[in-house]
Amino acid sequence: MDTQQQLQQAFSDALGIPPEKVSDGLTYNTIPEWDSTAHMVLIAELENVFDVMLDTDDIIDMSSVAQAKLILQKYNVSFA
Amino acid sequence: MSALPNTILQSASVLVTGASGGIGQAIVAACIERGATVFAGGRNEEALSAMQETFGKALRPLVYDVTDELAVKDTFRQLQRQVSDGLAPPLFGLVNNAGVMLESPLSVTSMDKLKQQLNINFLAPYQHMQLASRLMSRLRRGSIVNIVSQVSEQGSKGMSAYAASKAALTGATKSLAKELAPVGIRVNAVAPGFIDTPLTEHYEEEARQKVLQRTVLQRAGTAKEVADAVLYLLSEQAGYTTGHVLPVDGHFCP
Repeated sequence: MDTQQQLQQAFSDALGIPPEKVSDGLTYNTIPEWDSTAHMVLIAELENVFDVMLDTDDIIDMSSVAQAKLILQKYNVSFA
Repeated sequence: MSALPNTILQSASVLVTGASGGIGQAIVAACIERGATVFAGGRNEEALSAMQETFGKALRPLVYDVTDELAVKDTFRQLQRQVSDGLAPPLFGLVNNAGVMLESPLSVTSMDKLKQQLNINFLAPYQHMQLASRLMSRLRRGSIVNIVSQVSEQGSKGMSAYAASKAALTGATKSLAKELAPVGIRVNAVAPGFIDTPLTEHYEEEARQKVLQRTVLQRAGTAKEVADAVLYLLSEQAGYTTGHVLPVDGHFCP
């Protein structure tokens, strides 16, 4: 599984949505499944999957799948 | 209480801040006795090393200042690395025990002293809850216990800064109990009254007696009694309790 698939699976697991619904355009609070509680679970899932510890500012900024990729790149996670 | 079964703590880690203080040591001992691995946080490396000699691998010392934001982040990284490496079980419990008590009337309390109280007694526990809850939410379970004070519950002349800082922590406890319940994390507090610890040993006999006269049980509490209450709230015996402030004060009547 490459990092793109890992990311997709992490979002899918954390938000309880099918992986095919996870696209770069998916944004916080635009679907009922991505609320503040799910956001916390998502952060935990991403930290777990990619073995990183995110800064609070990055968590605040993580408002979409595309943004998550950009932020994770700061932690040396690269996406093809 | 120690005869009660507890399966959660036997396969879990608990982070205790202020671990080398009077109440801290009692909490560490109680958790380890119940089978937990304890990450013991504190600034006194010598005291933590001595505790490690006593408790062996069940105690993992973390030397840092709880008010140093970067050091706290780094400490959580260290903690998680030890968990990832299989050296300790996942973090299940957090006990925000580190604190300082300022006795100072309003007119002579400097802003620096007030900020120090807030930094140690409220902002540091808040950051710890923020970071710990992220680790706990990975497993959808956890228990946080904050040490507050009967001073914040009841008020006390000459202790407004301390009372306010602990009251802030009580407010956060009750709010976070609601916020973190969906991810399986309980948040409670223990509010000690007059406890025999190094923090209170400077009390003159007359002052001590005045406090005890207002305590229904007519004696000071012990660090172990506070630790027993913490252990109860951490454990599965309190599985249906969250957002609660448990007094351990001999029924103090101000």
